[in-house]
Amino acid sequence: MAAESPQSHGADTAHTTTTEAEHGSGGLPQFQFQHWGGQIAYLLVLFVILYVLISRVFTPRMRRVLDERASTIATALDTARQVQAEALDQARTGEAEVAEARARSQRVAAEARAKAAADSAAVAAVEDAKVAEKVAAAEAQIQKARDAAMANVAGIAEDIASAIVAKLTGTAPAAADVKAALAGRPGAR
Amino acid sequence: MADPIHQFQIVKVVDFPDVTLPGVGLVDLAITNSHIAMTIAFSLVVLFLTLVTSNAKVVPGRLQTVGETLFGMIDNLTDSIIGHDGRKYFPFVFTIFLLILGMNLLGMALSFTATSQLAVTATLAIVTFGLVLVIGFAKNGLKFFLLFWPTGAPLVMRPVVGLIELFSFMLRPITLALRLFGNMLGGHVALKVFAGFVVTLGAMAAGGGLGLLGIPGAALSMSMVVGLTALEFLVAFLQAFVFAVLTCIYLNDVVNLGEGH
Repeated sequence: MAAESPQSHGADTAHTTTTEAEHGSGGLPQFQFQHWGGQIAYLLVLFVILYVLISRVFTPRMRRVLDERASTIATALDTARQVQAEALDQARTGEAEVAEARARSQRVAAEARAKAAADSAAVAAVEDAKVAEKVAAAEAQIQKARDAAMANVAGIAEDIASAIVAKLTGTAPAAADVKAALAGRPGAR
Repeated sequence: MADPIHQFQIVKVVDFPDVTLPGVGLVDLAITNSHIAMTIAFSLVVLFLTLVTSNAKVVPGRLQTVGETLFGMIDNLTDSIIGHDGRKYFPFVFTIFLLILGMNLLGMALSFTATSQLAVTATLAIVTFGLVLVIGFAKNGLKFFLLFWPTGAPLVMRPVVGLIELFSFMLRPITLALRLFGNMLGGHVALKVFAGFVVTLGAMAAGGGLGLLGIPGAALSMSMVVGLTALEFLVAFLQAFVFAVLTCIYLNDVVNLGEGH
């Protein structure tokens, strides 16, 4: 393929290589060494330029963006974590407050219940006393009425007895006798 | 049928008088299609990087995402292979990667592929190899040669294994250059051959008669061309990536010499 020395080949046939390759006698065109120098030199130049551009301009820019993104994400995560911790704290205080409030309300309820019970007991006692007083008064009145009635009964009995005696005997007995007879009863029979 | 090799022919676009340099010999200064392809690829890479980084936002757009993906890929590569020192070598690896990727992908659009020129791939390989040598001697001095001294082998075997190691080391630029060159050459030749079949068999079919039998063949070749084109896009990316990976591995050998061995 590339058996000929590159120099002589390149010098003599530089302008005829195209037609030579078209006739298929030149082998792979890659081995036409007269074209190597120009490509190599040019590629080296391009390579160096690109290397400088990448190392001085593009890589720092890229790294800056990536770092910026990393820090943004880190701060966002930090903030989120902080907010979460705060929320947990608040939830905990909230729970504590609720528990306290419940305890307080239970205490208040118990107190209220006790007070209500005491109040009603007092009221009941007062009412009871009033009722008992009324009952006592009523009983006393009844007693008095009964005594009066009983006294009347004795008078009525005397009257009836003297009337009966008068009817039977024709003479009215002495009031004292009647009274004695009714009181002692033995003499009546 | 068109010659499938013809696409690799260097054609002078603008000719300048040849210069004879002392010690180098005759140098052809003409601007060729290879120069133009390299320039376009270079400009596209610079344009791409400019677009990606000039208006970079914390929340990236589409193009910025692509650029950051490539950037992150090579950054991970240098970081994971070379280690903590990897950032220093990142620009070099990224430059190689983007240049090769640009030239490979441009070859899918133009009729000429710069990376299918052995001169180009050899230059990139020798630049890489030269950098490895320079860093190796600058960092390790003469201890650089410990790279070839296999401490794991039995004492009797060490000189032999060491010699083999030295040879394989010296072959690195050649394998680097030939791998990329061969992949691009083979892929584009295969594409051209199958595309040529389509035309030839199509012309046969156009002649009528028995030539109509060429239609299924042409259809098959056409589907091959479509498949190969997709494959070539993959290869274009993969070869650039492989070159970058190998560059990292070779750099790691000399950067972390004596630590991983």
